[in-house]
Amino acid sequence: MKHDWILSQEAFDDLLDWLDSDREQAGIKYEDIRRRLIKIFTGRACVEAEDLADETINRVTSRLSEIKEEFRGDRARYFFGVANKVYMEHMRRKQPQPPPPSTTDSHQVELEYRCLEHCIESLSEENRYLLLKYYGAEGSAKVDRRKQLAEELGIAPNALRIRAYRIRLALQDCVEKCIERSEE
Amino acid sequence: MRNYLLGSLEAERRAALEESILCDAGIYEELLVLEEELIDQYITNNLSPSERQQFETNFLVTAERHNNLRFGRLLRRYLDSQPVYVPPDDIPVTTVRHDEIDAPATKFFSFAAGSFARGAILAVSTAVVVSLVILTVLCWRASRKPEQPIVEANSSPPVRVTLTPGSMRSEGAVTPRVSVPPRGVNVRLDLQVSNPNFHNYKSELFRESKSLQTADELKAEPQGEQHVVPWTITGDVLSPGDYQVKLSGVVDSGADEFIDNYSFRVVKK
Repeated sequence: MKHDWILSQEAFDDLLDWLDSDREQAGIKYEDIRRRLIKIFTGRACVEAEDLADETINRVTSRLSEIKEEFRGDRARYFFGVANKVYMEHMRRKQPQPPPPSTTDSHQVELEYRCLEHCIESLSEENRYLLLKYYGAEGSAKVDRRKQLAEELGIAPNALRIRAYRIRLALQDCVEKCIERSEE
Repeated sequence: MRNYLLGSLEAERRAALEESILCDAGIYEELLVLEEELIDQYITNNLSPSERQQFETNFLVTAERHNNLRFGRLLRRYLDSQPVYVPPDDIPVTTVRHDEIDAPATKFFSFAAGSFARGAILAVSTAVVVSLVILTVLCWRASRKPEQPIVEANSSPPVRVTLTPGSMRSEGAVTPRVSVPPRGVNVRLDLQVSNPNFHNYKSELFRESKSLQTADELKAEPQGEQHVVPWTITGDVLSPGDYQVKLSGVVDSGADEFIDNYSFRVVKK
């Protein structure tokens, strides 16, 4: 690894070119790879998963001139190999302590709750219905409720899981933005 | 994948899964969905004591996951405060509050004890509403797509196609193509596997992340110098587009182990 290597705009452009000749597609692939690297480092209990993912990308970028002519196959797999090396080096270093769970006051909790209510109200009627019904039940009723919901929507149970997850993700994003706006 | 999230998957399997997470959009999304489900199970005390400990020690390692847990708790608080939905046989989005569900039947009797005229109006209105509901349900059922058909014995031999695992296919290789099969003709997918020693195999067919068919109890069999897992799927579910098959192996303990993904494209004749 070139330790003094710094990611320049030119190098970053080279990386995007290597990922895909279409710049928009390359951007999507870059974001995908970064998100998944973060998930992999998180799965290995690395607190600084984002830093390690960026380190991996930087290393791949720094080696592009050596590999881009010869490398054949799925680019993402190359990142995986480099990520393993970054991880091993990370493990040799001193492990930092995990961050303590954030604590917030009751005012903050109420703000979050108001934002959640607002965001749920902003969902389309269909998505709100699905969200409340999918996550609403607990215990033994949950399985039956979800099965019925899948039949009602005419989709497979696994497709329902994914649809519910996507709505939840969009909701969480909406809540985070709402909180940011409220704190400005 | 659940063991992976809880940090209890052995290193070799973990590496294989991580590679799939990086290279396969379907696996990555499945992981995200499972993360949220695990968080919900933690919040609602549906994890075993050992899983709970693994969750706290191995899963809650990043600020992002703490945030997700926090959001999960917020959502649970909201859901617990919400009205309970009427069972789905009734009109969707109609809600009943807890206090209404718990209300004694005396509410009904006090209402019925009203004047005869009011009772007559109620009877006619109820009949009209019930008729409309029945009509709506019948129309809705008629317009619904038929249930996913299972593969049935068919006199026509299935169309056969051999699929190479995604991880073994070279970049730029052409995706195998299958013509839309004639009505009633099934498609036999021969899924090449490098390890034919699993007890059983499970497979799932996807199109644009939508699960179309599943099968378990599949067995590997030799095909020339290779081994394949044959899976016959209903041809009628195939229309032009890109499809993916996820294959898992079942080990003796009954646990699943992801093996690989396979792709094929259905084209017009």
